Amino acid sequence: MAPAALDLAERALAAMVSGDGAQATVTKERSLLLRFARSRPTQATSLNDTTVELTAVRDGHVGTAATNRTDAEALRACARAADTVVRAAAAAAGTSGSYPGLPAPARARAHAAHDPETARLDPDAGGAALTTAFEAAAGHGVEAHGAWTAGEVETAVASSTGVAANDRVTDAFLKVVGIAGDGRSGYASQTACSLGALDPHVTAERATRKAACGTPDRLEPGEYPVVLEAHAVADLLTWLGTLAFNGLAHADERGALCGRLGTRVVSPAINLSDSPRYPGTLPRAFDAEGVPKAPLPLIQDGVATRVVHDTRSAALVGAQSTGHALTPAGAGDGPSPTNLVMMGGGAADEAELCRPIERGVYVTRLWYTNAVRPKETLLTGVTRDGTFLIEDGRVTRPLHDLRFTDTVLGILGRVQELGARSVLSSEGEFYGRRFATGVVCPPLRTGSMRFTA
Amino acid sequence: MSALLLDLMDSAAGRADYADARLVHSDVERISTRNGAIDELDHTEEEGLGVRVRVGGAWGFAATRGTDRAAADEALARALAVALAQPRTRATPLAPVAPARGDWRSPARIDPFDVPLEDKLATLVSADAGMRGDPRVKVARAHYLAHRVEKTFASTEGALCTQRSTECGGGIVALAVSDGDAQVRSHPGSFRGDIAQAGHEHFTALHLPSAAAWVADEAVALLSAPPCPAERTTLILDGEQLALQLHESVGHAVELDRILGTEASYAGTSFVSATDLDRLRYGSPLMNVTADATAPGGLGTFGWDDEGVAGQRTPIVRDGELQGFLSSRESAAEAGLERSGGCMRAEGFARQPLVRMTNVNLEPGDAGSLEDLIAATDRGVLMATNRSWSIDSRRLHFQFATEAAWEIVDGERRRLLKNPSYAGTTPAFWAGLDAVCSSPEWQLWGVVNCGKGEPGQVAHVSHGTAPARFRGVEIGVA
Repeated sequence: MAPAALDLAERALAAMVSGDGAQATVTKERSLLLRFARSRPTQATSLNDTTVELTAVRDGHVGTAATNRTDAEALRACARAADTVVRAAAAAAGTSGSYPGLPAPARARAHAAHDPETARLDPDAGGAALTTAFEAAAGHGVEAHGAWTAGEVETAVASSTGVAANDRVTDAFLKVVGIAGDGRSGYASQTACSLGALDPHVTAERATRKAACGTPDRLEPGEYPVVLEAHAVADLLTWLGTLAFNGLAHADERGALCGRLGTRVVSPAINLSDSPRYPGTLPRAFDAEGVPKAPLPLIQDGVATRVVHDTRSAALVGAQSTGHALTPAGAGDGPSPTNLVMMGGGAADEAELCRPIERGVYVTRLWYTNAVRPKETLLTGVTRDGTFLIEDGRVTRPLHDLRFTDTVLGILGRVQELGARSVLSSEGEFYGRRFATGVVCPPLRTGSMRFTA
Repeated sequence: MSALLLDLMDSAAGRADYADARLVHSDVERISTRNGAIDELDHTEEEGLGVRVRVGGAWGFAATRGTDRAAADEALARALAVALAQPRTRATPLAPVAPARGDWRSPARIDPFDVPLEDKLATLVSADAGMRGDPRVKVARAHYLAHRVEKTFASTEGALCTQRSTECGGGIVALAVSDGDAQVRSHPGSFRGDIAQAGHEHFTALHLPSAAAWVADEAVALLSAPPCPAERTTLILDGEQLALQLHESVGHAVELDRILGTEASYAGTSFVSATDLDRLRYGSPLMNVTADATAPGGLGTFGWDDEGVAGQRTPIVRDGELQGFLSSRESAAEAGLERSGGCMRAEGFARQPLVRMTNVNLEPGDAGSLEDLIAATDRGVLMATNRSWSIDSRRLHFQFATEAAWEIVDGERRRLLKNPSYAGTTPAFWAGLDAVCSSPEWQLWGVVNCGKGEPGQVAHVSHGTAPARFRGVEIGVA
C-alpha cells in the first residue's frame, strides 16, 4: 500500500486535466516548538498541516495552484486553478516557454532520517529540556533563552512522467542563549534527525558558561586573524551556496563563480560538497521535482568544480538537473544546495586553532548577515552571543560584538587550519512549510577577517 | 464558523485561564515574468484554525488545517497539552480590553481576484519587454501580488469579530551585467515592488510599463558609474530606503517583547529599555514617529489585532523623544502600561500572534519636495532603493546599501554613483535628521518580508515616509 502522502499525491494528480505534463506534491507537517526566555516558557506552537501543490505544464510554461484542503472537490478545484493559470501563461507569452518538461522517474536511495520516537512530538520531552536549560543557567547565575523543536515531514511527488516518490524525515533542534545581568550572552545549539541525539545539559552548559565570563572590551575596527566556531562557518557557507553555486545565477552571469569554475577560488584546504546522506546531515531522498539527491563535489582542494541545477536552470546551459530544485518546476530565484558538507582538518579543537594567533578574534556565531554585492560574495553582518579576544594563543577576554564586511571567498581564501571535528549547524528557522536544513562543517582559523565597526 | 468558535471557547473556558481562536482563510496570487516568459504563476489557498490557551503562566498554541468541530476540539486538546507540559511559571496579567465585536473590511475598489489573469499578464509582459533593449540587461523581471485574508476571532472574554483584508501591488527589476560587475535597479521599490492594502487599482496606478525604460537604462548606467566615495557627509534618503531605515532602527527597536527580553534568542533585544519612555532622546526635534493601525492603505492596518485589541494610533517618538512602544496585552501589563498598543499579529492560521509593527510612520516635515531638498543641500549624496540591510541584535549599529546614489554639489543632483552604502548608530543617526520633505512627498511603502518568531513568520507592514536629510553620515563603508 502506498504511503498516505503518496496516495494523496496520486489522487491529486488524477484530478489534473490534460496538458504537457503535471506534478502533484504533497507535504505533511507535524511539528512542535517550545520557546523560552528569561528562564521561563514563553510560547509553544503545535502544528498539523498538509499542503497539496499541483503544477501544470503547457507548451514550456508552468502554472501552480496549492491548497491545504484534501477532499475530492478541493483537489478538483485546485487542478482547475492550475490549468487556468498555465493556459493564461502560455497565451500571454505568445511563444513557447523554456521549461523543458518534468523530469523522468529515477530511483532515489533510501536514508535513515526518520526516527519514530522523535515523530511522537512528545511535549513532555520538550518540557524536560527546558527545565534542564533553566537549571544549567541558574547554576551559572544567568538566564536561559532559546527554543526546542521537533518535527516530522512527509513529502510525496507524483507526476505524469511516472515519478512516484515518498520521503519521510524527522528533525530536532535545541538552542540555548545564556544571558547575564549585564547583557553578556553565550550561544550553543544542536541539530539532528532525532531528539535522542540532543543533549540539553551539554548545550545549556556550553551556552551559559560563555555568558558568565566577565565584562567585555571594545576592539577597534580592522583586520584580525579569526577563529570561527562551526556555527559561524555554516553561516558563511550557506551564503556561498546561494551566491556561488546557484545554477540559474550562474547562467545569468550574476553568479560569483562566473568564469571561475576550474580555478582556485579559496584556500587549498577547502573541500566542499553537497552530500545529502553524509553522516550527521539532514538527509533527503529527492528534490522538489522528484529528482534523486546525490553527492556532488563543489570545491575540491580550493578549486571550484561546478554549480547546482534544477531542471529549468539546467536547460538554460544544456546540462542535467543535479537534484537541487527548491520548488516544483524550479524556484524563480534558482536552485541551491541544501546539504553542504565541508571536510575537516587537523586541529583537535577551537583551542588548538587559537594557538598560533598573537592577537585576534574568536567568533561563536554571526547574525543578520546579508549580501552587499552578491557577485563578489561581499557580506556584512555582526558577531553575536560569544565574541572573545584571542591573545598569545588563547581566549582571554570577552569582546563587544563586531560588524564584519568581507567576502566569503576572501575569508575562505585565507583559511590556515580547519578543526578535525565537524558538526551539523542549523539556525533552526522554519518559515513557511518546515524544511530543516543545516551545514556540516568544522571550526576554522582564517588569517584575516575585516571588521568595520 | 462563528458558532464553531463560540462553542470552542465555551469548551476552553473551564480548562484554561484564557483562550482565543482564529479561523483564517487566505488566497494568494503571485505572478512573475522573467525575460519575457511567465516565470511564476501561482495561486495558493489555505484555511485552518489556530487555538491559543493560557494555563497558569504558560501559553500553548495548536493549529490544524481542519475547520470542523472534531478538528477544533483536537487542536484545543493539543494546545492544552503543550501548555501543561512546560515548566511551571508565574502568571502575569493581561492588559484589559473590551471584547472585540463586529466586522471590518479593508477598502478595495477593484477586487484583484476578479481581474482576468490576461490583464495582469499583459501589463507584466509589457513592462518586462520594456526593460530588454540593451544586451547588458541579463535579467528583466516584473512581479504581481494579490493577497486576501479573511478571519474570525473569538476569545473566552467574549470577543467575536470578523475581518477581511485585501492587498495588491507589484514592481519591476532589471539586472545588468558587464565586465564582472552586476548592477540592479528596481521600481517602485526593491523586493517585488510596492504592495498596499488596496485593490487592483493600486497595481494599475504603479504604471510599471512606463517605468521600464528608465529602470533598465539606470541599471546599465550603474555599470560604468564611479563608486560611492568613502567619507562622512550629508545624506538624503529617498522614501523607500527611509522606510527600511525606519523599520529596522525604530520599528523593531520599540517592540516591547524585544525590550522585555522575550525575543532575545532569535530576533534579539533592543538598546531601548522599558524605563526609557519620556526620557530617551531618540533623534532630532524633527523626528516624529507614529504607529498607526488606522492608516488607509497600510499593510499594518486592521480593525482588531490578533488578540482582539482595536487598531489604534500610538505616538512612538515626538519631537525626537521616545513616547511609546509597540505592545501586546501581556507585554503592556508587564511594562506597566494601561492598555495594549494592539500590535499582536500572526501570519495565517498556523502561527501564534507576536508583537509586530503596524504602520510605523515618520511624519512629514516642511522641506518641500525632494528637488527642493536637493536644492537646499550644498554637498552630499542622495541614495535610493534598498539593496542590502543589516543591523545588530540590539538594533543599534546598522549598515545599508542601496541600488543607486547621486552626488549633490551646490544644490544640484550630479553624477550617478554605484555601490552606495552607509552605516551608523541609531540615536546618533536620527540626531542628524535636519530636514523632512513635506506632505505631498509622503507615502506609505509596503514591506512584505519582515521575519520574526519561531517558527518563523513573515509580516506585512507599511511605513509612511517622505525623503529626508541626515547630517554627518559615514558613507562608502562597503
